[in-house]
Amino acid sequence: MRRPEEQKMKRMESRISRSVLPFVFGLYAERRTFSLRLRYTICEIRNTTLAKNLCHTLFLLLLAVLVCAGSVSSADWEQAIGERAWSFPRDHGSHPEHRTEWWYFTGNLADKSGNRYGYQLTFFRHGIERTPKDPGNPWSIRDIYLAHFTITDVSGRKFWFAERTSRAGPGLAFSDMKGLNVRLLNWSARMVRNVIHLSARHKETEINLELVPQKPPVLHGHKGLSKKGPGEGQSSYYYSFTDLATTGTIRTPLSKQPVHVTGKSWFDQEFGSNQLSSDQAGWDWFSLHLSDGRDLMLYFLRRKDGTVEQASSGTIIEKNGASRHIRLSDISVDILGQWKSPKSNGTYPSRWRIRVPSAKIDLTISPYVPDQELITEGSAGITYWEGAVGGRGTSAEREVTCEGYVELTGYAGNIGGIF
Amino acid sequence: MVFFYMQPVIRVTDLWKYYGDDEQGEPALRGTSLEVAAGDIVALFGKSGSGKTTLLNLLAGLDRPTRGRIEIEGQDFETLGERGRTEFRRNRLGFVFQFFNLLPTLTAFENVSLSLELAGRPDPALARTTLASVGLEGKESRYPHELSGGEQQRVAIARALVKKPSIILADEPTGNLDTHTGTQILDLLVNQCRHAQTTLIMVSHAMITCRYARRILEMVDGVVTEDRSCEAPGP
Amino acid sequence: MKIVTKAFLRYLFRRRSLSVLQLLGIACGVAAVIGMGLSARSALSSFNKAIEFLRGSSTHLIERPAGPIDEKMLAQLMQDPSVDFFAPVIDRRVRLTDGEAIHVLGIDPFLDRDIRPEISRAYFAEMGRSEREDHFSFFTDERSVLIDSNLAAQLKLGPGSRLETSQGVFTVINTFKNPSGEPLILMDIRNAQKMFDLKGSIDRVDLIVNDEAAFRSRWEKGFRIESKRQRQETLTALLYAFKLNLQALSLLALFVGTFLIYNTAMFAVVSRRRDAGVLRSLGARRIEIVAAFMTEIFFFGILGGALGAVFGYILSRFLTEIVGSAISTLYFFLKPSPQPWSLLTLAAGIAFGCIASLLGSVAPLIELILTEPVKAIRGRVAYRGGKRKAGKIALIGLGILCAAAIFLLFSFYHVYIGYAGTFVFLLGVSLFTGFTIMFVAPALKWVFSRIGGIQGKLAVANVRKNMGRTAVAIAAFMVALSMSIGLGSMIESFRHSLIWWMNSQLKGELYVSTKGDADVPEDFYEEVKRVPGIGGVDTYRNVQVTFRGAPVYITAINASILQRFTRFGWVSGGNENWEPVKQGSVIVSESFSRRFNIKKGDTVTVEGIEGAVQFPVTAIFYDYTTEHGLIMMDRSTYIRHFQDRTINSLGVFVDPRYPERDKVIAEVKKRAQDRNLPTATRSELHNTILSVFDNTFAVTRSMRVLAIIVAFFGIAGALMTLFVERRREFGIYRALGFSVRQIAGMTLFEGIGMGLVSFIMSIGVGTALALILIKVINLRSFNWTIFYHFTFDPYLLAGITAIAASIGASLYPIWKVYRTYPQIQIREE
Repeated sequence: MRRPEEQKMKRMESRISRSVLPFVFGLYAERRTFSLRLRYTICEIRNTTLAKNLCHTLFLLLLAVLVCAGSVSSADWEQAIGERAWSFPRDHGSHPEHRTEWWYFTGNLADKSGNRYGYQLTFFRHGIERTPKDPGNPWSIRDIYLAHFTITDVSGRKFWFAERTSRAGPGLAFSDMKGLNVRLLNWSARMVRNVIHLSARHKETEINLELVPQKPPVLHGHKGLSKKGPGEGQSSYYYSFTDLATTGTIRTPLSKQPVHVTGKSWFDQEFGSNQLSSDQAGWDWFSLHLSDGRDLMLYFLRRKDGTVEQASSGTIIEKNGASRHIRLSDISVDILGQWKSPKSNGTYPSRWRIRVPSAKIDLTISPYVPDQELITEGSAGITYWEGAVGGRGTSAEREVTCEGYVELTGYAGNIGGIF
Repeated sequence: MVFFYMQPVIRVTDLWKYYGDDEQGEPALRGTSLEVAAGDIVALFGKSGSGKTTLLNLLAGLDRPTRGRIEIEGQDFETLGERGRTEFRRNRLGFVFQFFNLLPTLTAFENVSLSLELAGRPDPALARTTLASVGLEGKESRYPHELSGGEQQRVAIARALVKKPSIILADEPTGNLDTHTGTQILDLLVNQCRHAQTTLIMVSHAMITCRYARRILEMVDGVVTEDRSCEAPGP
Repeated sequence: MKIVTKAFLRYLFRRRSLSVLQLLGIACGVAAVIGMGLSARSALSSFNKAIEFLRGSSTHLIERPAGPIDEKMLAQLMQDPSVDFFAPVIDRRVRLTDGEAIHVLGIDPFLDRDIRPEISRAYFAEMGRSEREDHFSFFTDERSVLIDSNLAAQLKLGPGSRLETSQGVFTVINTFKNPSGEPLILMDIRNAQKMFDLKGSIDRVDLIVNDEAAFRSRWEKGFRIESKRQRQETLTALLYAFKLNLQALSLLALFVGTFLIYNTAMFAVVSRRRDAGVLRSLGARRIEIVAAFMTEIFFFGILGGALGAVFGYILSRFLTEIVGSAISTLYFFLKPSPQPWSLLTLAAGIAFGCIASLLGSVAPLIELILTEPVKAIRGRVAYRGGKRKAGKIALIGLGILCAAAIFLLFSFYHVYIGYAGTFVFLLGVSLFTGFTIMFVAPALKWVFSRIGGIQGKLAVANVRKNMGRTAVAIAAFMVALSMSIGLGSMIESFRHSLIWWMNSQLKGELYVSTKGDADVPEDFYEEVKRVPGIGGVDTYRNVQVTFRGAPVYITAINASILQRFTRFGWVSGGNENWEPVKQGSVIVSESFSRRFNIKKGDTVTVEGIEGAVQFPVTAIFYDYTTEHGLIMMDRSTYIRHFQDRTINSLGVFVDPRYPERDKVIAEVKKRAQDRNLPTATRSELHNTILSVFDNTFAVTRSMRVLAIIVAFFGIAGALMTLFVERRREFGIYRALGFSVRQIAGMTLFEGIGMGLVSFIMSIGVGTALALILIKVINLRSFNWTIFYHFTFDPYLLAGITAIAASIGASLYPIWKVYRTYPQIQIREE
């Protein structure tokens, strides 16, 4: 009885493993059709039928293949199974025994004159060979590091993004195991005592920020084990700093000079080895800071058949740092508008009404700038939307405003023309 | 025929010509003088090397005298200048050579047309009728080497006549033809000149020329003398 | 069209055979220039394309003054605020089995993405082949390479094929498009490090820098920073002398061509002279006649030029390969793709044809303008002056020679002046042709009358009498033969000097690896030193550095070994010159000394790893390895200042007292083989160098042939001219009872006579040309002394060429004789 199941798993694994960053960028490959039911009322997402050969085109993308099939089996990597004994700051650092890991920073900032900005700085580590053949040579590849960096200028209605990829090499990229210290070329995130220093420059866009946690780390899911599917191992370890007081400078091609900014950031760290199932199409992920001090994280895994994965869930973090898991059944999201990308032709939802009755939350949010789409060529080779959002509504029956970030994947499959 | 007094069309005074750079050696012309009236037909005899051709070339403005004066139609050649002399050759002068001197790469018609074209009044019809008038109808498109000597000389005559010059200079026009053909050519040339009131100066060895000339001159050692007897010594 | 013009142009059709010869003469002259020019352009443009392609969008590169860089600097480089992107590169070569050296680039595809997107795309495309077993083979399999599609097509390789090289067998995992003519192999940086034994080092880093000044101020010390433009200039400078020589060679062909055109134009004038007279008597203006004549000249110029452009284009496809292989053997691997056909080529051909036609017809035109119509009408105008005129022209020639001498004396200003002097010299001596004909005619007459009887005698008389025609053709042919002798003698002398140099410098019994092959590991050097019977091992390291903004080379050797075992060609002094070298002084090559005017006792300043270093120059030595200049220093000095321990090759010297020399050599050979290092014995190395040398002059040789072909048409044209002009004379011969055979014989003797006179002249002129090439041109463009060495071969070759070409050129006129002579009659018209 085990054998067929093992085979099935293997098959699944190999299909799954085609996606680069399970969870983050998975699913694109096998996506064929989907239509969201859930309670996405207005939105009539058109059935995007991707021809099979397009799937191959998708695979031309660097990272879509980085998770190599065949020789390197995901069995080499430890799965996210069971409870984890968390220990900080050690667990801010790298977990090389897991295949995939990322450090995700997003934030909503404003300068003195009230101009609003958003930024995203994300580092990914993706394991290639757990034990490389020639460990003495720094160029031999154990992991590939990727990073995405975006700045949104809300007043200027501009959005810039950049990406970096590298192997560890002779000091080109690394992630420390002792604590948060990730670097990819001249982009880095480093925690010294209680302060996280972010620094990234790409041509004329640059950030230098200091982030100070206002609430303790929030463990999502079940004590940090976040289910992404029904199967065992289809999970990741996932925690966040949901409220990071942020100060620093930001520079854009519009500002030319560094601009002093303050605001709030959100940090997610997640690691695992293999979480996605092949019938998932993409996900919508929300991270919101409410003006009453509450923070809200929600994610929906969309299945190809149009349903939402039951493992989808959320977390609400109170002003005092107490957090509570929210089940899918507790959440209702209505899509109030959509935006069609002229570049990728993908149609994204772009206005939402989010209700969490159990927490008495009712928010209507929309992107600050419609086009915050990342069309990455080199590193992920995947097109997704991730941008600063804002809105208002009620929380515990009081009027609130909110700001945050939304990530939408699996809406734009057409990356033709990239290669 | 009534003779009016006419201004001579050619007046040559004390003409000297040396060949070479300096006035050394034997001159080809030694101070000869000559007047020719308009419409006159003149035969110029003389031994080889007596200076006949030199005189003709000077009259045509092809060469310049060492000393002396040439007036054609009352104009001094020297004051005319190179350009003026070329103009004169174009419009007022016809030349007929002993060796025909047709351009070998042009057809009979083109050789005649050339003359008109140079004079600045191209007229294919005139060229054609002139060729016909010298008896070459139907042979317009032949090249010189496809024509007999007599025919070639007819083309040459047509070429000279077509532009209706006031003077035709003929350098031994029959010298390269048999007697019969020679006679025909002379007939043609003289008749055409008479008809057109063209002054004709023929340099010749052939006694037969006497018959056609109104006036006979003889060149002896670079000086022209009048010779009415027409008993000039043969070649 | 005006009838006057028509009258002239119809001659071209009437005398078709002559026109064709004339046309071909012009066409060949133009073809030489176009062919040479196009192939030089192909070489340069594919060279630029290769640079462009390899540089990608990088703005700068950073490298050590000599040798590789420690890769740890990358971590600092990435933090530099002036650096937007950077990509480390290992830039090496491997040899294919056929000996071709191919560029290998070791890159990191991730970092390379922003510098060379095309290349990294090729790589990512490979990764994306989802059906592949192992997506990481490029990284994990040490033998995996990507090769460019041109090379793949040439070697008939595809994904999965094996490629054998001097570094072992590679597995081709995919191909990529390469717009440049330079074949390229790509591998992962890790694998490249491993293969070239470069642990922890890279060759250079390509950069995109946003603030050059700031960047330079931070990185200048110990590094060499080169902007894209500087790099291009440096590399182009490498080709400068080579390019110049190509241009000069092609101009020489055009020079010969212009002679032919002169010949053609002169004939046109002569044959139109009577017509011109007739036209004048009919009242045509001079200008009209000149215009008609010019139409004819331009007709030839345009048609010949156009034809030449087509020939040249075809020629260039052949020459491009030769030029490419010469550049490859001398400088760097290049496989230039021929220039595509363009209307510009046609325009250039026509322009050259017309310019040459104009130049060639200036003199005849003046003659035409000055002709008195009276004389013209008289028909044939015999060549004026004869002896007196020939003497007068020779005097003018003497004047021009003086001018040439002045040019050559002043050639130190620029080699262009030297080239100009060479052309003026050739022009000057060609004016002596008439004089020479007068001079040698009696002797030639005597010889020919012995061999050919009356025909031979008449032939010489004809050549002499028709000097106006024959002199020009003889001059053109003489110039071509002189070129052949001059270039031949120069090459032979050069070869001789090279052999002398090899015997003085390359005296090692065995050489392990050579420049361009694998480097020699230092421990192998130590190992070889310990082999019993070894007298000494010289380490050889050659790097390109920048001196006063120009590329020069530094060679690090083992001074005490060379002092013991070699006998360098010193400009002054002897092997005692090595003593100061052991103490840290340097010796420089003659080319270096001349190029930078560095004398013994001066100092040279070179950027070392710790900044500028001053080296005293203790001696100057003869060297033919590079025209750019060479600084030679002891290995210890080199390591001290450049911290580069790389060894390109070893020269092994056996202890002269050791009894079993062969055994020692065999032992070293075996050990080298075990390390997969190629070896060459002294004679093998010498032969390799000589074959490189011979390959280099393939271009020169092909230009020699071309000049002779051009001249061949000249001789043939001149003979045809004579034949056409003397039809009436032939009539007299016929009347006198000459047989067809006798006339044919006479024509043949005329041809041979002209060839012989050309050859006799070219003996002297060719030798003089060789001396000019050696003492002026080579010295100025390559800065090295070649020792003149007399060899008989070039003269013999020229003699054979002269006779063969003149016989060949006579064939058509002889055929014409056979065909038309029986009908020729005595006719005035």
